[in-house]
Formats: sequence, C-alpha cells, structure tokens
Amino acid sequence: MISPLASTPLFYLGPVPITSGVATTWGIMLALTLGSVLVTRHLTLAPSKTQTVFELLVETVDTQIRETMAVPPEPYRAFIGTLFVFIFVANWCSLIPGVEPPTAHLETDAALALLVFLAVIRFGIRAGGLGGYLKTFATPSPIMIPLNIIESITRTFSLFIRLFGNVMSGVFMIAIVLSLAGLFVPVPLMALDMLIGAIQAYIFAVLAMVFISGAVGTEQPATAPPALLTRKGAP
Amino acid sequence: MSFDWWTLSLQTINVIVLIWLLQRFFWRPVASIIAERRALADKTLADIKAESSKAAADLADIAATRAGFAAERAAILTAARADAAKSRAAQLAEAATQAAALEATAKARIAAEGDADAKAWGQRSADLGVDIARRLAARLDGPQVRAVFLDWLVAAIAALPEATRQAARAKTIPFDAVSATALDPAEQAHASEAIGAAFGGAVAVTYSIDPALIAGLELRGDHLIVGNSWQADLLKIQAELQHDRHG
Repeated sequence: MISPLASTPLFYLGPVPITSGVATTWGIMLALTLGSVLVTRHLTLAPSKTQTVFELLVETVDTQIRETMAVPPEPYRAFIGTLFVFIFVANWCSLIPGVEPPTAHLETDAALALLVFLAVIRFGIRAGGLGGYLKTFATPSPIMIPLNIIESITRTFSLFIRLFGNVMSGVFMIAIVLSLAGLFVPVPLMALDMLIGAIQAYIFAVLAMVFISGAVGTEQPATAPPALLTRKGAP
Repeated sequence: MSFDWWTLSLQTINVIVLIWLLQRFFWRPVASIIAERRALADKTLADIKAESSKAAADLADIAATRAGFAAERAAILTAARADAAKSRAAQLAEAATQAAALEATAKARIAAEGDADAKAWGQRSADLGVDIARRLAARLDGPQVRAVFLDWLVAAIAALPEATRQAARAKTIPFDAVSATALDPAEQAHASEAIGAAFGGAVAVTYSIDPALIAGLELRGDHLIVGNSWQADLLKIQAELQHDRHG
C-alpha cells in the first residue's frame, strides 16, 4: 500500500520526478500570473470594483507588515504577500475535484519554510550587516547564542510542520469522511478546511513577518499575535 | 513517509519564481497605482490647502483694501473739502474784486453822468439865463440906452493903446458901427463925433443894424473890433459861467 503521505511522481523530467504538488504549484503560478496580468493591465486612478478588491489586498498586506514589523512594507511586500496568497490558494485547491493541495505535501511546506529561513538571513544581513545579524543571536545575552541558533532552526521546522499537519489532516479527514458517508456529508468539513486553510496562510505569513522582524532588529509591536509565538511547537 | 529532495528543490524554485512574477505583475503595479492615487490626493489636498490659504490671503487683502477704501475716502473727502474751501475763498476774493471794480466803475460812471448832467443843466441854465436876459434887455433899447452904450464905446476906445488908436486913425477903410436898432441921423452924427474924439482924430464910420446885438453899439474894423453890446456881454457871462462850472 502506498502511503498517503508519499508524493507520487506524475512523470519525470530526466532524473527529476514531477509530482502532483509540483504540477499543481505550476498551475497555481500560471493562474496567479495570468490573473495578475489581467488585473493590472488596465489600472486606473478611478478604480473599478475588481481593482478595488486587489488594492484592498495590497493595502491589507502593507498594513499587516507595518503593524507587525513596524517597518515600511515595500521591501517585504512581495515576499510576505506572495507567501500568503500562494498558501491561501494552495490550501483552497482542495475545492477543485481531483486536485490535491501542494501544501498537503511535506516538500512544499518545507520549501516555504526554507524560503522563510533564507529570507530571515537575507533581510537581517541587509538591515544590519552580517555583524548586526549575528548579534541578534546574542540577545538578550551571549549565553543564549546556542539556544537562539537552535531556535532559528527549530522554528523553521515548526513552521512547515504546522502548515503540513493542518492541511494534511484536513485532507485526510475529508477523504475518510467521504469514503464513509457519501457525497454531501463532508461539505461542512470542507468549509472548516477552507477556514483552516485561510487561517494557516495568515499564520504562516505573520510568523514569517515576526521572524524577519526579529532579524531586522525592529521592536516587537503590540499587534503581533502573541498566541502564535507561544504555540510555535504546536501543529 | 518519504521526503523527495527534488520536489523540495522544485517547489523552492517555484515559489521564488512566483514571488518574482507576482512582484513584477501584481504587487508593484497595484502598489504604484495606490501610491499614485495617494500622491494625487495629497497634491489635491495640498492644492486645496494652498487655495484655501490663498483665499484667506485674498480675504485679508480685501479687508485691507476695504480699510484702505475708508481711509482713502476720508482723505479724498478732506482734500475735497480743502479744495472747496480754497475755491470758495478764491471765488469770494474774485467776486469781491469784481464787485469793487464794478462799484468803482459804477461810481465813475455815476460821477461822469453827474458831471455831464450838471454840465448839461448848467448849459441849459446859462442858456436860459442868457435868454431871459436877452428878452429883458431887448425891452431896454431906447435913446438913453443907446447913449449909455455910446459912452461905454467911447470909454473902451479911450482905453485902447495909443498905437492902436493911431493906426485906426490912419486907416482909410471906414469902421462899421453896428447897433441893434437903426440910429437916427442925429445919433449917428453924435456917435461919429464922439468916436472920432475917442480915437484922437476923425475916422470914417458907417452904420449898420444887427438885431442879434439885442442892445448896444459895436465898432468893427479890419483889424479891430470893440464889442459893446448886450450880446457880447451875455456871451462873455455865459463863457465865464461855463468856465466856472468846468473849473
């Protein structure tokens, strides 16, 4: 029996296996890119309803960055916003019959967490230089350096494990209920799964902002969700 | 459970590419249009503030101008009053000058007219007096009066210088003795004798009548006239009266 957690290759590009998660990711990339081109093709100063919705999305991302990181949002908008949009759309892919969310596979979540890990280093060095970034490991005391190093790695793991666990459990639950109860019974669970998918996208983006903010050296704003920080180990 | 590193790598690359694509086609354009609209709104607000400030400044200018109007009005009124007072004083002075000139002219004209009237009345008075005297004297003509006039003529001849009387004696052309009324032969003979005596020698005398003499006896020659009549006296009196009036 094949493990449901395993990624089955659809085909191979040379030695590279192309899994359903990768293919779905490509589809999401294509859809988001084409949608972006269509949306931004006729931007006007007097916005239409569609343009207003997307401007609201940008403004919301900017506001979240500003309130969570207490920095101008421009350098982080594309990274944080794309993480949120991609995870959000990926989580909701399960609404399409036959499509499995890429975030239900460990590799995709690990890739996202790896990007956050690298982004923390990049933005930290860019903000305070290499020395300034390394000094952040010595706060509040140099004694904390080993623990901070371990924390920077473990929090990355917790980041993708949390996302993977939530999405994967939702997919499993729906699949099990669907196999037991028929066609319409899983609908409430699917709605719950959509809610969980949206919340997980938000949590992932906010945690990315918090980690980057810690590396950049900005003070932790009061609006940062403290519950997310204390539940770093929980799925 | 398995973990595919190829998939991890592909998904990492995919997300990086997606970040770049969305940055290129979504985040940047939408953020740009938002920033552009915000800048436009800020500019509009700034323009409105500037317009508001300008309007306030214009209002202040208008208020200042209105205040200036009041001051200018007061100044114009003061200047106009001063000009009016000056003009009135000048007109009054000119009117006084003209009135004085008119008064002087009128006085002079009245004086001249008074003089002319007085002269005319004097002339008429003299003429009236002479006329009255002429009419009165005309009633006095008679032998006694003619005798008196002969005596006055003889006395006037006697009063002449000797050279005059001598030249008269030497003349061959006779003197003309003019009377207002005709002398009878006796009176003519007596008169010729008396005149000759007065000249100191015999002189030829003819007699003629001139009623204009009123009364009297005059002796008229080429170079000598002895006036001796009421007419001559009245003309003399009239001339003296006119001379006195003019003087």
